[in-house]
Amino acid sequence: MASQPAPVSGEIIVRVNNVRKTYRSTVAVEHVDLEIRRGEFFTLLGPSGSGKTTTLRLIAGFELPDSGMIEINGADVTKKPPYDRDINTVFQDYALFPHMSVAQNIAYGLETRGVKRADIITRVDEALRMVRLEGFGERLPAQLSGGQRQRVGLARAIVNRPQVLLLDEPLGALDLKLRQEMQSELKRIQAEVNITFLYVTHDQEEALTMSDRLAVFNKGRIEQMGTPVEVYEKPSTEFVANFLGTTNILDRDGRRIMIRPEKMVLTGSGDTLAAAGYHGEPGIVRDAIYVGMFSRYLVELSGGAVVTVVQQNLDRFSASQARQRGEHVQVSWRPENVNAL
Amino acid sequence: MKQQRMTGWVAAGVGITALIALGTTAMAAPVKPDYPKSIGKGEGQLNIVAWEGYAQDDWVKPFEAATSCKVNRKYAGSSDEMVTLMRQGGGSEYDLVSASGDATLRLIYGGAVQPVSVDLIDDYKNFLPQLQSPPHNTINGIHYGISYDWGPNTLLYNTDKVTPAPTSWSVIYSDAYKGKVTVPDNPIQIADAALYLMATKPELGIKDPYELTQKQLDAAGDLLKAQQPLIKKYWALASDEIELFKNGDAVVGAAWPYQTNTLKAANVKVEDTIPAEGATGWADTWMLSAKAKHPNCAYLWMQYVSTPKVQAQQAIYFGATPANKLACSEMDKLEAGSCTKYHLDAPASYFDKIKFWKTPRAECGDGSKSCTNYTKWQQKWQQIKG
Amino acid sequence: MTALTTQTTPSGALRRFSALLWRHPRFGAALLLTPPLGWFVLIYLAALVALFVSAFWTVDDFTGEIIHEWSLTNFITIAGDPTYRAIALRTVGMAAIVTITDIVLAFPFAYYMARIAGPKLRAALFALVLLPLWSSYLARVYSWRLILSNDGLLNWSLAHLGLPALNIGYTNWAMWIVFSYIWLPFMITPIYAALERIPHSLFEASQDLGGRGFRTLRKVVLPLALPGIIAGSIFTFSLTLGDYITPILVGGPGSDFIGNVVYANVGIANNIPFAAAYAAIPLVVMCIYLLVARRLGAFEMM
Repeated sequence: MASQPAPVSGEIIVRVNNVRKTYRSTVAVEHVDLEIRRGEFFTLLGPSGSGKTTTLRLIAGFELPDSGMIEINGADVTKKPPYDRDINTVFQDYALFPHMSVAQNIAYGLETRGVKRADIITRVDEALRMVRLEGFGERLPAQLSGGQRQRVGLARAIVNRPQVLLLDEPLGALDLKLRQEMQSELKRIQAEVNITFLYVTHDQEEALTMSDRLAVFNKGRIEQMGTPVEVYEKPSTEFVANFLGTTNILDRDGRRIMIRPEKMVLTGSGDTLAAAGYHGEPGIVRDAIYVGMFSRYLVELSGGAVVTVVQQNLDRFSASQARQRGEHVQVSWRPENVNAL
Repeated sequence: MKQQRMTGWVAAGVGITALIALGTTAMAAPVKPDYPKSIGKGEGQLNIVAWEGYAQDDWVKPFEAATSCKVNRKYAGSSDEMVTLMRQGGGSEYDLVSASGDATLRLIYGGAVQPVSVDLIDDYKNFLPQLQSPPHNTINGIHYGISYDWGPNTLLYNTDKVTPAPTSWSVIYSDAYKGKVTVPDNPIQIADAALYLMATKPELGIKDPYELTQKQLDAAGDLLKAQQPLIKKYWALASDEIELFKNGDAVVGAAWPYQTNTLKAANVKVEDTIPAEGATGWADTWMLSAKAKHPNCAYLWMQYVSTPKVQAQQAIYFGATPANKLACSEMDKLEAGSCTKYHLDAPASYFDKIKFWKTPRAECGDGSKSCTNYTKWQQKWQQIKG
Repeated sequence: MTALTTQTTPSGALRRFSALLWRHPRFGAALLLTPPLGWFVLIYLAALVALFVSAFWTVDDFTGEIIHEWSLTNFITIAGDPTYRAIALRTVGMAAIVTITDIVLAFPFAYYMARIAGPKLRAALFALVLLPLWSSYLARVYSWRLILSNDGLLNWSLAHLGLPALNIGYTNWAMWIVFSYIWLPFMITPIYAALERIPHSLFEASQDLGGRGFRTLRKVVLPLALPGIIAGSIFTFSLTLGDYITPILVGGPGSDFIGNVVYANVGIANNIPFAAAYAAIPLVVMCIYLLVARRLGAFEMM
């Protein structure tokens, strides 16, 4: 899914320019620059407190930046309230109006914009169908499950056909299975409505699988921005490398280098792959974990440092195939898979 | 099952209702006289219901020392509370009550109090003649208590604002001081209007302001309804009226001497008078419970509080006039000029002008049943106030 | 030996009893509920039944005794006499106006407390709202009497501002002001509780969907604050309906409430049946009020 070509026209729909926001003495975000293109699925990824949600709230208009500029569809909206921005938000806690039925919730934005009654009914039905909640219009939010509520929250936002849809950890409260189901739902819906999605999550796998591009946040700043492949394969900082998946960091020849565990090969001691262009180092297995699809080894290299090596169990696993704890091994990798930091 | 339970509850409710009903209708007629020959030895205890200020240590302590009757005091807040207290526990809980004229007949006809032998009270003969056998505590010559103290319901006015000095109640019935008039919030106020009508509309034939036929009651009611728009406030407590005069909310009204004295002490320019038409007055009576447990102590108390010294102490403490004429010199001893201030040395004509409170009853003084009772007065008063 | 057996017997019985409760939880609940429920039924409901029953009796004009015969006399008097009609209307009307006044005053205040003020200011405002409740009801009413009297603070201030004196002491206006003042905390507190419970995200969601301040207030905040408003209004309405002290203290002529009539009839006139009949009016009005509130769905979201 991640490798699908992005339906990107190149036109910038959201531009965030050197934005800074502080709460009392704490800097929430600073030097944030973003350019989100029309139709893109763009993710703000980062641990909690990294500034990703603040950035989303600044774009939504729930917070105003101390400095910097925010543009939506070419218009400066830096100082505008949320109701004057052509965007809609899907909230983490759904934020459904508890006293309104599902249909009333969805119709709320259309009513405020003065859409005709008949059109409202059609569009609400259409939105309900899109999120697969036909026939739920008369229910109250309290009568729905968590996943259904999230769909209503989504329908309530997209029914307004905004330029940009902001999603603030929308799947955070759902269990794993439901979350995966909703991930593909979201992609399907985005394709259907062709709206720019700006997505906030702390789940790196979710970010990699869903995004066209993503920005990794750390301590109020953007560490790296790019496609999932770029960010995963060529992390520009140690933080990014560690936050997206596991990584091995080594000091070699006065350089700090990084190699992903799955890009390392484990062979018997003295069994070098130098002929195939691999760089190899000897080591001792300190731990061996069988995971099923693969096995994970912790190997102490003779040149210093303990690395994680992941080996796919391509053939049926057997004890003879496995490396034992304390076994002397050779760890090899291709130089082109090495990232210099 | 459910229905059975329901019937059970209803039955319980009806049972309780019946109990409540029984409680309210136990007593009936006045108690027949059964006088003691003399006052015996005290029983050691005396339980009294009194107005606050009627049983101060100043005169209670010497009584206890002299008679070894320990006085247990219960203060009541209203005439109604007094009536209720005297009926409590079958009527034997308290021995004596200092009942006002608007409660005495209720206690007598309710059978809550018993006749008292005035011959056993030495100072009785020194009482003002008007308070020896007043209709509010004496029925067919039988005394149901010993008068204690009293006060007139005077016309109080602000001497700066009300000129010339009024001599008639007409000042509170005319527009002259509209919105600055205050009268008591009490149905007995109808008697004040009736008293005024006795003088101004003799054709109504009112003989006693507390014995009104329906027609006379209506006439008094009409007068008071016409007065309602002139009223600033119907006062409930003496302190209310004092405040109204202090703050300039009222400049003329019906009052007691107590208010006048308090306001004068606070340098408010007021004066009071008993107008030409006369005035109503309140008078309190010590009454003996029909089932008194300590009758000897009760008689000793009535004997004691009738003496000039106690009468004077009580009068000055409370701001009232004693029933005992001989209290005059004792009053002046306690506070110079107080005898005159409270009109105890006034000529007989002064006392004749005062019609003491008594509870209106359906039975008129002449035995006919054409008069209006207190319930009617109460309803009329409600209509007047609105 | 004997001592041992006598000691084990009660504990054995106790254990069996507790086992019985364990097996039959309903029995346990019944056992737990019976004393308070019995008390409630006996004291409260029986008193209500007694009240209703005695309302149909009358008092004999001559003897003053209660006649235990069913009759509608009291109700006919109440319905037929313009005085009693006017007093009932005045009481209910004042209760309604005071309730509306308190809603109008309390809502912005509670909103400010719940949604705008910081924690410190909020605590201070809470203290400010609740502080008067620590002083005597009478003291507060009396102080208003002093403020509104002819030479009182109000007229003194008006005179200093060069304005003509207001003569509202001892009038229904005074009662309106005093009632609105003394019951205000009972309105602010439940509205505050209701507003405070609204998740912040709902405000953002409304704004996000294009709702400006007024629309958010009308469509989101008010409906969600409604249970609090209704709860507060039940306080202010019933407290005003049942009051008889404020009319005595700050009312003028033509200020009597139902409570004053009941008091006068029980106390002064000893006409308990009539008092019972008249006291049934606020009871009926309150029942209707609660039914309407329920119809409005006020209790569903509580």
